[in-house]
Amino acid sequence: MIISLNDVNKTYPGAVPLHVLKGINLGIEKGELVSIMGASGSGKSTLLNILGILDNYDTGEYRLDGLLIKNLSENHAAELRNKMIGFVFQSFNLISYKNALENVALPLFYQGVSRKKRNRLAMEQLERMGLADRAHHMPGELSGGQKQRVAIARSLITNPTIILADEPTGALDSKTSKEVMEVFRQLNRDGMTVVIVTHDPGVAAATDRVIRIEDGLIVPAKPQINV
Amino acid sequence: MRNPVFDIDNWREIGTTLARNKTRTFLTAFGIFWGTAMLAMLWGGAAGLKGMLMRNFDGFATNMGAILPSRTSISYKGYNKGMIIRLNQTDLEMIRQKVDKIEALSGIVLNVVTVGYGSKSKQGVNAQGVEEDFFNIQLPEVYKGRLFNTADVNSMKKSVLLGKNLADEIFGQEDPLGKFISLNGIYFQVIGVIGQKSEAQIGAKLDDSVIMPEKVMRGAFGMGTNIDFIVFTGRQGHDPDDIKPDMMRIFRLNHPIHPDDDQAVRMMNIAEQFRMVDNVFIGVSLLALFVGAGTLIAGIIGVGNIMWIIVKERTQEIGIRRAIGAKPRDIIVQVLSEGLVLTAVAGIAGIVFATLVLFVVDKATYDPVTGSAHFLFSLTAALWIMFIFLFLGTIAGLIPSIKAMKIKPIEAMRDK
Repeated sequence: MIISLNDVNKTYPGAVPLHVLKGINLGIEKGELVSIMGASGSGKSTLLNILGILDNYDTGEYRLDGLLIKNLSENHAAELRNKMIGFVFQSFNLISYKNALENVALPLFYQGVSRKKRNRLAMEQLERMGLADRAHHMPGELSGGQKQRVAIARSLITNPTIILADEPTGALDSKTSKEVMEVFRQLNRDGMTVVIVTHDPGVAAATDRVIRIEDGLIVPAKPQINV
Repeated sequence: MRNPVFDIDNWREIGTTLARNKTRTFLTAFGIFWGTAMLAMLWGGAAGLKGMLMRNFDGFATNMGAILPSRTSISYKGYNKGMIIRLNQTDLEMIRQKVDKIEALSGIVLNVVTVGYGSKSKQGVNAQGVEEDFFNIQLPEVYKGRLFNTADVNSMKKSVLLGKNLADEIFGQEDPLGKFISLNGIYFQVIGVIGQKSEAQIGAKLDDSVIMPEKVMRGAFGMGTNIDFIVFTGRQGHDPDDIKPDMMRIFRLNHPIHPDDDQAVRMMNIAEQFRMVDNVFIGVSLLALFVGAGTLIAGIIGVGNIMWIIVKERTQEIGIRRAIGAKPRDIIVQVLSEGLVLTAVAGIAGIVFATLVLFVVDKATYDPVTGSAHFLFSLTAALWIMFIFLFLGTIAGLIPSIKAMKIKPIEAMRDK
């Protein structure tokens, strides 16, 4: 199991404390392509943040590749995010004043990799995404699909344990969405574990397993009927 | 751990972010530039103004007093008030014997003479008769020849010193040394050409006078034993004001001066003048420091403000960077370095600018005799200004970057 959550609880403190995750149990195997589906307010974003080591949880256990992720210092969390997780976001989150190559290379900057090596590795990832000719374009000069592929290239550059995608097609038209989903499927065929958080059934359908979350709890999987 | 100082990539990052908004970078830099320049200029300017004022006293002993006899203001011993007091050799002799707080003492005799040399003559020239000690009280600038010595005084030889301006006027290109000039028809040999170091004067300005031993002067012109005034310096630790009562006792003994009459003989205290200048400039320096510090603080607040805006504007970017693995330290170092680079570059420019301005002012106020007025500030002062600026600049950058760290990356990324 590459991801295992055992009775994870999360409450947002406040005047009226908000119990968002009410005991999540979840297991994802290495090499899976799964989607996490849920309506807004279901707790799926919180779950994603916990999976991405961007947020803490209160009780329970989260293990990523066997490593217990709990009460980490911000420094340690940043290091694990950098090495183990590749993020892909709905709004691409590229840095607007850096070109495609520099954006892709940025995670390696924080690992202290030399500029030359960084740029070589970034170029390899861009080639893999079919964007070698766009390497020196700024994000503003790229289409939505191209931006998302640059973001995917960036998520791959540190050779992470998992790819976490948060509504990766949310800002794209249906044709481009299909292309991007195909990229994820290709990555998965190459052996990458991919977790996609979405509310789009079409996107969920393109994954191998759908995990539904409702009101802070995982909905037990119904037996699948293949026609 | 990577060392941010030696990492070329860090410098590239700083360069690109600063270059991204050139106008804002320039305006912020200008604020700091102006702050440092103002502080440095005020600092150096205050020192220079003091130097200029002190220059007027150059050559004068700082604990000097001058005794100026005047008229009595109270009738005494049958003499009406308003009687002119004239000091004489007896007074001088008694002071020499009784007042041991005195370091140097000279009676001064004044006369107005007509100077003649060859076909040239000049009327209405001030002649000053002084004692050797006079030159220990007001150090002159010797342009040619020498001052007179005890041998000259004792031999009663008719030797004379010429003021620089007078020498130029009468001798022109000719060398006056050893030449004989007539003063009211009596011939004197020129042994030196002298001038004042500064503008302040006692009696007549040395540059325009003829100067000779007072004994020679009284003898040559038949002036009796009266002297016109007395100059003196106190020994170490004795202010002229301490010495005045001792002298007054002698004057009262020799002249009909009422014990309460403080008008008959007056004293000018140069030490007091010096103290006054000192006090004025302590005030000026404090004011300069106050205004300078104000400008500096305004500059720093400007930097803090801009850093705040930069951090706010880049909340999303900071979120992205953190999500992909930037540690808090990386972000803080980045924001701080931007502030520091800006502060350092603009601060150095400000100090260089102030140095140039002060250099020009110093050259413009340069005096050939007394030299520079010292419109300068020391390297130490410059380094202090830089250090304070960098320190405050760091704090100004630190607060917003720490604030930025408090926002969770996920929230920061959503921020639009």
